[in-house]
Amino acid sequence: MFFAGLDIGSTITKIVIKTEDEIWTSVIRPTGAEHRRLAHKLMEEALQKANLTFGQLDYIIATGYGRINVPFADRQVTEISCHMRGINWFFPGVKTIIDIGGQDCKGIKVNNGKLVNFVMNDKCAAGTGRFLEVISEALGVKVEEIGDISLRSTNPAKISSLCTVFAEQEALLRLSEGVSIEDILAGIHRGIATRIYSMVERINIEKEVALTGGGVKNVGLRKALEERIGFPAVVPPEPLITGALGAALFAQEYVGRIDKKELETRKKERRLEAVTFFGEGPTRGQNG
Amino acid sequence: MTGEKKNKGLARAAEIYQSRDKRARELKADGKKVFGYFCCYPPVELMTALDILPFRIMGDMDEPITVADAYLPTIMCIFYRSCFDIAKKGRYDFFDGFIGAHACDGAERVSHIWRYYIKSPCSFFLDIPHTSHSAAIDFFKVQLNYFKETLEEFMGKKTSPERLKEAVSLHNRQRALVRDLYDLRKSDPPLITGSETLQVLISLMCVPVEEGNTILEEVIEEVKERKELPEKKACRLLIWGSLIDNTAFTDLIESSGLNVVIEDTAIGTRPFWHDVELTEDPMDGLALHYLKEFRCPRTFRETGPSYREDLESRFGYLKEFVKDWNVNGAYLNIIRNCDIHGYEVPAVRDYLEGLGLPVLVIEQDYSTAALEPLRTRFQAFAESIG
Repeated sequence: MFFAGLDIGSTITKIVIKTEDEIWTSVIRPTGAEHRRLAHKLMEEALQKANLTFGQLDYIIATGYGRINVPFADRQVTEISCHMRGINWFFPGVKTIIDIGGQDCKGIKVNNGKLVNFVMNDKCAAGTGRFLEVISEALGVKVEEIGDISLRSTNPAKISSLCTVFAEQEALLRLSEGVSIEDILAGIHRGIATRIYSMVERINIEKEVALTGGGVKNVGLRKALEERIGFPAVVPPEPLITGALGAALFAQEYVGRIDKKELETRKKERRLEAVTFFGEGPTRGQNG
Repeated sequence: MTGEKKNKGLARAAEIYQSRDKRARELKADGKKVFGYFCCYPPVELMTALDILPFRIMGDMDEPITVADAYLPTIMCIFYRSCFDIAKKGRYDFFDGFIGAHACDGAERVSHIWRYYIKSPCSFFLDIPHTSHSAAIDFFKVQLNYFKETLEEFMGKKTSPERLKEAVSLHNRQRALVRDLYDLRKSDPPLITGSETLQVLISLMCVPVEEGNTILEEVIEEVKERKELPEKKACRLLIWGSLIDNTAFTDLIESSGLNVVIEDTAIGTRPFWHDVELTEDPMDGLALHYLKEFRCPRTFRETGPSYREDLESRFGYLKEFVKDWNVNGAYLNIIRNCDIHGYEVPAVRDYLEGLGLPVLVIEQDYSTAALEPLRTRFQAFAESIG
């Protein structure tokens, strides 16, 4: 059997197709302003890569910020539960998950594979991928490189504000004062790490900790976070796909709960069509 | 007037909820005096006894705050900023009187600013102590007498203890009916949704008590007979907090896999859970009821000898709610910058978790435009239970 998880994030869309035991294939592409509508095309790409037909997928779960109104998904589950499940598959001993996504940042507590508590940042870009993008643009370096650059710092700059707009101004001010880009970036990463730490600490950071989401690809942020937490954290081989993997794992679990006949009917009803937006009609894949 | 009152029960409640001032304006046109009041502390019984329509002042989550910021700091309670904002825009221009109250600091500050900038023919500020020991109750009784005298002077007539007792009985009848309505939420699924309940409760706060009681009787009859029940969900939710006054919020919660079964809030159980005692001097019963029986974190309660006993004496009533309404999850609703509820969160959470309940805390922005991002939180919370 094949189970698919589709994670439509604010910045990146991910698809994982898995069998009962292993990840069969995964696809990672930018979401973009209009590309959420093209999630079905991405599913076609994943199917092609996996050498499967749409009809071969037994159950599909959508997650992430764009999970609602996906006509080809059987159900939607929040990314909070999906990250938890995905990480739990990689690291069953993890009790705290820190997910640094494109537009939000989450702390998730796990106990025996069950979601017990969570916390999310609130209407603020600090501690998100978007913040890193803004800062790298301001400093004229690529976002993929800022982590490595920050590691070369010997004297991290003090950045007092973590409001995205003001931090950008402050970074430019430091630059004009002659502070090196390495030190500015190291200061920025420290500041974000402190902010993420204090948010997640509200639900009590317990060992073992896993870091996930696109933000963790930044080695500078990862190092700053581990320093702040006080011990090393585990990171999955591809931190971008834990949500989609978790969705595929939930798909596998839900298939076990429904009978074969219903499954076949569901598969026939599914349409590999464009995702619609709120109030645009089809609402398949809603909870319940 | 009679032609207007075609709808009954839930439909009538929904109609009043949608146009909250319509009935008040009609009655005013017929010569009735309408007084707006803050929070649930000014005794509505006194207004009813003097033939005044008490009208609960609420904000509007659909209306962006555009005027109030010139008068109030942005770091204070958004609900009271919204109340003042829509008042400045003329939404409450039909009030004959304004009753401010020291319910919380936000309400107190806005009360004074309101009296200054929004002129009503009559206005009164009710000073409410923050403790409930006997000296505080004596003080509060004096304040209630000032309140009564102000109303009497404005209306040009006196009320009598008998008339006041009648008003207390009418409002007690309303409280009993609301508790009967809440009983219909004990089944699984509850017979009435959180959004429907909210519409009923808000409608009660906008019409005379007799009309409210009729609506309640009709709603109870209608809901008992109902064939199509609300959807059964994995979580039976208790909401604790200041208030929710817009069904967009309860709709969001109830479409995220949660059934709201009881609300310990200021537009929920709080105004209705205890009857006012019919004391010889009715003012004694009112003072005791509003200051002592009324459960809101704005009033400090004597602490017990240990933390646990302290929690038990302050939140023991929640244990009854959890048991009787078979609650399996709690949502602590904090309107941003609400100090009195915000400070209470660690203790309430601790107490509820001690009862084995998962607890979700959200500090929200009192704006329907800001609701959708909360869906992921409610859904994830439902998933963690279901």
